[in-house]
Amino acid sequence: MKGLKYQLKNIRRDKMSILSFCLPILVGLAINLFSGVNFSSLSEPSFCVVKNDLSESAMEWLQINGNVTTLPDMVSLKNMVNDPATQTIGVLQDGNSIKTLLSGDELQINMVIGNTLPQLYAEREDAASSKVTIIPAADNNDALKSLLIVITVVTAMFMGCTFNAMNIIGEKEDGISLINEVLPITKREYVAQKITLGFAGGILSTLLTACVCMKIAVSQIIPWLLLVVLSAFIAALAGLFIGCFSGGLMAGIVSIKIVMILFLAPPILFYLVVPSDSVLFAVSYLLPSSATFYGLMNLLTGTAQNMGIHLFILFVHCIVWFLLFLFIDRCRNK
Amino acid sequence: MWMDFLSLLKKDFKLMLSSKFLLLALGSLILYSCYINYIYVGLDQDIYPVYLYDPLHTQEVVSSEIMIVDSTEELQANIEDGYAVGINAFSGTPEIVMVSSNIRSVDHYRAAYAFSLLSPANSVAAERIGADSKEMKSRREITCEFLFFELAAVGFLGLASTLFKERQMGMIRVHGVLPVSRTAFILSKLILFLLSDLIFSALLTVINLGVAEGLSVLPHVCLQAGILSLLMALVGFFCAIWLPDFKQFSLLYLVLAVFITTPVFLAGQTGIIREGIKYHPMYHLFMAMKNAYWGISSANGGYYMICGLTIILLFLLVRQVLIREMAKEG
Repeated sequence: MKGLKYQLKNIRRDKMSILSFCLPILVGLAINLFSGVNFSSLSEPSFCVVKNDLSESAMEWLQINGNVTTLPDMVSLKNMVNDPATQTIGVLQDGNSIKTLLSGDELQINMVIGNTLPQLYAEREDAASSKVTIIPAADNNDALKSLLIVITVVTAMFMGCTFNAMNIIGEKEDGISLINEVLPITKREYVAQKITLGFAGGILSTLLTACVCMKIAVSQIIPWLLLVVLSAFIAALAGLFIGCFSGGLMAGIVSIKIVMILFLAPPILFYLVVPSDSVLFAVSYLLPSSATFYGLMNLLTGTAQNMGIHLFILFVHCIVWFLLFLFIDRCRNK
Repeated sequence: MWMDFLSLLKKDFKLMLSSKFLLLALGSLILYSCYINYIYVGLDQDIYPVYLYDPLHTQEVVSSEIMIVDSTEELQANIEDGYAVGINAFSGTPEIVMVSSNIRSVDHYRAAYAFSLLSPANSVAAERIGADSKEMKSRREITCEFLFFELAAVGFLGLASTLFKERQMGMIRVHGVLPVSRTAFILSKLILFLLSDLIFSALLTVINLGVAEGLSVLPHVCLQAGILSLLMALVGFFCAIWLPDFKQFSLLYLVLAVFITTPVFLAGQTGIIREGIKYHPMYHLFMAMKNAYWGISSANGGYYMICGLTIILLFLLVRQVLIREMAKEG
């Protein structure tokens, strides 16, 4: 306990650790601030028209089907359609009908929207008289915002890794590790202190980040807490690995970056691109952060399916990585 | 004079090699190119899938885009994702059923689109006014992003780490007593990093855009890469001399990578957060780079004049700080 107190005292002076602790909380706050920015506008069909070109009825119909921008002339319209940063479809009056302009580099969804829009406009009265039942969605978050929140929370969970690694490398560079060798502290105590430190830091950072940007139902609190605890333990272990095996600060920073990219990028990619019942998706569970990411995504979208599997996989990761660390450490000492 | 400068260049090149900077750049080049060619160009978003349940076969001519299901349960299961649209013609009259996407206009469009597939007609295809295909746009877009990030964040770190290593080895003190000018000391590093960044930019562009397209935009890209490389190298140089240790430098780097480059990417790539972004200097550098990848030289004389003046001012500032540091080191 006394050792832990000294570790905390040491970390209080370490700006890098404090910043890595606060960074996800700040990003969480930024996401909350951006709630004013409508992320859903990105998935909304986007149209642009020339001022006074479309008839009133066509304009009204267009506005209920997407986001409409009015531009002063044809040149501006063509520029906006061709702007690679947007997926905007140009719409012009064509007699009683409308015609559309596409750049040709749009996503398939926008190509289809652009090509079918005149037909939809022609059939608008029939479509309006058809019966439509819209079932309300389970959650109100748009997909991009959910994804940003989960990325931030997973980053916070794995911040324990940075926390630990920077602390150990800093100690090495300041010569404290040499002093530790002559202090009455066993290797086991040192490892326990460092894991506790990264673990506590990771959990605290995650809890604060989640408070800032995540809404969790009461019934989901226990699986969520288990997810946080297991992930933070793995992150603390990863930090211990990096800290013990990195020679200097530069090598440590590079290792942390590689670990962070490996922990964050593949789960996002697999979640977005690979079908959840494929073999490749199952292979992605080899990375501990995948189970965390999928679990959090399920919690946020209100579908708590497979939560038991996610927690079990994380538990297995905790045991395997801890045993691996003990084994490598024993081999090094021999 | 030239021999002195050449030996300085040789020494800096050796330092670059020993700091594994070139290895890191090669690794990044391979990683980025693999990601672009094997993953990013394949990413796309399909139109909403439409499922039809029509046990009485009331819908005689439907579009080939519609997928037929055999039960209401199957229809419900398929539309659960809030993206697909269902048409239930169980009662004889088609009824559009879907889970809301939480965006009213999208729901409206989904319903109209599904309805249109029940009576397929030959719609007039949209007029195409752009020159690029989706794949080429993706290639240009992501290559530009990677290059900007590599030059803005990684390049900045590369020069600084080399300089910190030199400081640790006491070479700044040695340079203080050597008959080598301060300008040559800064220039030798800048030239090496500029060259390595230009080679990196050229390789990344040609590998990912293809030889013909890559070579056609290369002059524009190299010009912007050169400006960005010089600016970031000088900022990195300044911070590496001004800040006492690498730890504090990495704090600044973290802030730069997360808070300075992220809004630029968001504004440049998605079109959101446009208000006020024009006051962000990195935004103009990013947009100039982006335009360069489309072969457009949109930046005007004012832009180049400001960049040139900033480079000169930063150079003078770095020189001043270096002289002060050498005096401090004795």
